[in-house]
Amino acid sequence: MDVGVLLQVVLAGLSTGAVLGLVGLGFSLVAGTSRVLPFAHGDVVVAAVFTGVLVVLGRTPVAQDLAGPESVAFIGLVLLAGAALSGLVALVVVRPYRDRPLGWVAGGVAAGLLMRAVLGLALPGQAYAVPDPLHLDALSSDALLHLPGGTTLPVRTLGVLVLGLVVGIAAEELLVRGRFGRSLRAVADDPDAATLCGIDPGRVLLLAFLAAGVLAGLAGLLDAPSHAVSVDDGVVLGLEGIAAAVLGGLGSLRGALLGGLALGVAQQVAVHAGGAALQDVVPLGVLVLLLALRPQGLRRRQRQSR
Amino acid sequence: MSAVDVAQVLYLLLAALGLSLAVSWAGLPVLGGGAFLAVGAYGTALLGPGGEHWPLGLAVLASVGLGAAVGFVVAVGASRLDGPPLALATWALAWLVQRLLLAYPGTFGGADGLTRPAPAHLVTRTFGLDLELSPAVHVGIALVCCGLVVLALLRAARGPGGLDLAALREGPEIAATLGVPVARRRRAVLALAGGVIAFAGAGNALLLGLVVPSDVSPLVSLQLFVAVLLGGTARWWGPVLGVAVLTALPPVADALARAADVDVERSRGVLTAVLLLAVVVLRGPVGRRFSRPGPAPGLAAAAPDAGSGIPGRTVLAVEDVHVTYDGVVALAGAHIDLRAGEVHALVGPNGSGKTTLLKQLARHPQAVRTPQHTVVMPHLAADRQVAVGARGGARSRHAVLRHLLATPSSRIPDSRVPDALAATGLGHVVGADPQRLTSGDQRLLQVARAVATGAPALLLDEPAAGMTGDERARLRAVLRHLAHRGTAVLLVEHDMRLVGEVADRVTVLHQGRVLACGTPDQVRSDPAVRRAYLGTLGA
Repeated sequence: MDVGVLLQVVLAGLSTGAVLGLVGLGFSLVAGTSRVLPFAHGDVVVAAVFTGVLVVLGRTPVAQDLAGPESVAFIGLVLLAGAALSGLVALVVVRPYRDRPLGWVAGGVAAGLLMRAVLGLALPGQAYAVPDPLHLDALSSDALLHLPGGTTLPVRTLGVLVLGLVVGIAAEELLVRGRFGRSLRAVADDPDAATLCGIDPGRVLLLAFLAAGVLAGLAGLLDAPSHAVSVDDGVVLGLEGIAAAVLGGLGSLRGALLGGLALGVAQQVAVHAGGAALQDVVPLGVLVLLLALRPQGLRRRQRQSR
Repeated sequence: MSAVDVAQVLYLLLAALGLSLAVSWAGLPVLGGGAFLAVGAYGTALLGPGGEHWPLGLAVLASVGLGAAVGFVVAVGASRLDGPPLALATWALAWLVQRLLLAYPGTFGGADGLTRPAPAHLVTRTFGLDLELSPAVHVGIALVCCGLVVLALLRAARGPGGLDLAALREGPEIAATLGVPVARRRRAVLALAGGVIAFAGAGNALLLGLVVPSDVSPLVSLQLFVAVLLGGTARWWGPVLGVAVLTALPPVADALARAADVDVERSRGVLTAVLLLAVVVLRGPVGRRFSRPGPAPGLAAAAPDAGSGIPGRTVLAVEDVHVTYDGVVALAGAHIDLRAGEVHALVGPNGSGKTTLLKQLARHPQAVRTPQHTVVMPHLAADRQVAVGARGGARSRHAVLRHLLATPSSRIPDSRVPDALAATGLGHVVGADPQRLTSGDQRLLQVARAVATGAPALLLDEPAAGMTGDERARLRAVLRHLAHRGTAVLLVEHDMRLVGEVADRVTVLHQGRVLACGTPDQVRSDPAVRRAYLGTLGA
């Protein structure tokens, strides 16, 4: 393979991977804290983006450039919507059923379906072009990145990769170290003991969902402008993020980010070799196989239970 | 309603019945019913007439086998997964299959699917048979299949099969300690469910002469799941009720869509989601109204009575055991031997390695252990929990099948449940709701479950924890009685008075090593023991 093409495939893969990593990071955060798997997480990503679209651009959005204030409003709205939707899921379908997995599994799936269906009522089109409030295209004059061998890549690919990694690493710093991180780990380790230390597991669960929601909004902001988005894309995006999280070992934030990068590259290599049809098949296949064969993830470290 | 409509509803019911075996009987949350439908429908269309031109019966059989194989493979993973990850895996499977169908239009026909000549003909040259599969014939086939599944479920539920399913559903971990082969049962259940659902998919494909991805979509998977959940836990009529509701859903959704001028698919989605949420919310309160702990079923073929061990014979012995957790040494060369007819107490300070040694012993097939904490299977009547133990200990071959076919050997009544209840002084709990038992009775129920397995060695981890003085006296009598029957009892205990009263021999563990072993009096007067353990009490 030509160096330019190789670079193109790998960079595109890392860029998608950074987004998947962010989605997986939110999932892993919740799963690691509470052992609850947020089934609606992917739908939160897409629903957050479309909430911003609906409010800023209206029901018949056209691809248009956002002015400065609009961009800021759009970003704020999407992050807020992500946190709000995720928090709502936590309060309505997760918290009442913490000890009854069937309840939060079915509730999470139903919440995702409801988000898709309600958004679909407001936005009946097949797919929408979402504007980029971060204006990543402006990184180069022709919005392209010129690689050796005459190949090109949209310059926002690189922007997404860098921003995604920065956000992911910052999130890990913030969520693993520091006071909140300590209470997260305490609850994850032993909810009863954490309660005795004055930590309210219900509150920590809600906070984890809220943080995951903000991360979901960020992932949506980075990903959505790259391609046409349908309101139904959330489930599969969510499952791909979950694949990243499981790949890196569920509960590990760094693992989710690394898993996302690996998965993104694998996906782009498969698409390059076998056609666009494989785009979703590869990550979904990886998830099914992983859960069946190696649910603890690819990384070795695994604490032995008592 | 035309015959085609009726047959379609019946095939949906058959799929729901198949799924209910996994979801509501075995407690496995399978969200990917549509994937199994797809295997059956596309398998038949691709292999049978119009595809590879295999004979129709063979094509259907192959598709059903493939569905069962997919179920089996999912279960191989599920044997290590608890509910939620299994739900996740099957949900991902539903989407993977959908994306695969759309990714290869050359094979699967894309969104338009595959068309096949209808009505199909079932031709066997050997018998000179040419049966036209008209909608009326499909109604007959589907009806017979649904009836067979319901009858089999009803019959199995009253025998060893019902106990296996209850064990899978109510407490797979505890059932595994009692000797129920949980992983194997899960594989069997999921393979069976996969096969039944695939058959329903194949039937529907032949009925319509058409397979499209939207008929086997993740939304359909969810609707099937809702249909199964609607009827609650382990009731044969659950899927019937669920499918009735599902059948009413499209007309209602369409009417709503017309009234509100929105997309039909969206309104179906909203209704499915609302229904699923409603089921989740109402499940608890409604389920409690109809819960009924039934009597224990008779069991097939009594196992050899384990109570008849020769007193004094060594049943179980381990030597020089070393165990390390993450660099922390739990056992450093410990040894113990359990003899028939003897209560052997294992004592030592916290962290001395008692539970670790007990777990090592529990690996032995001769031994059954009870957990330190009370583990109740909350929705299973007390005597049925004991029956789960009896079932776990009975290694009779094909018991489920023999009971299903009502072979003569399956009619021998089994005495192990009343026997275990009597031996533990729990005769009064037959049919009782386990959650309403006193904590002492719940502790004894754990012992009774283990006794019912008929294991020659019982490993009891602090059975007296949380017991009152009277309950301790009862436990003491039970332990002496079990030893008298010839069982080897290992008792992990902190209460030295109880140990002194009930134990024949005592092993003292300290920092992963055996400090002393002997009669209670010998041990009590051992200077090393006094220093390490008892001395602090006597001071």
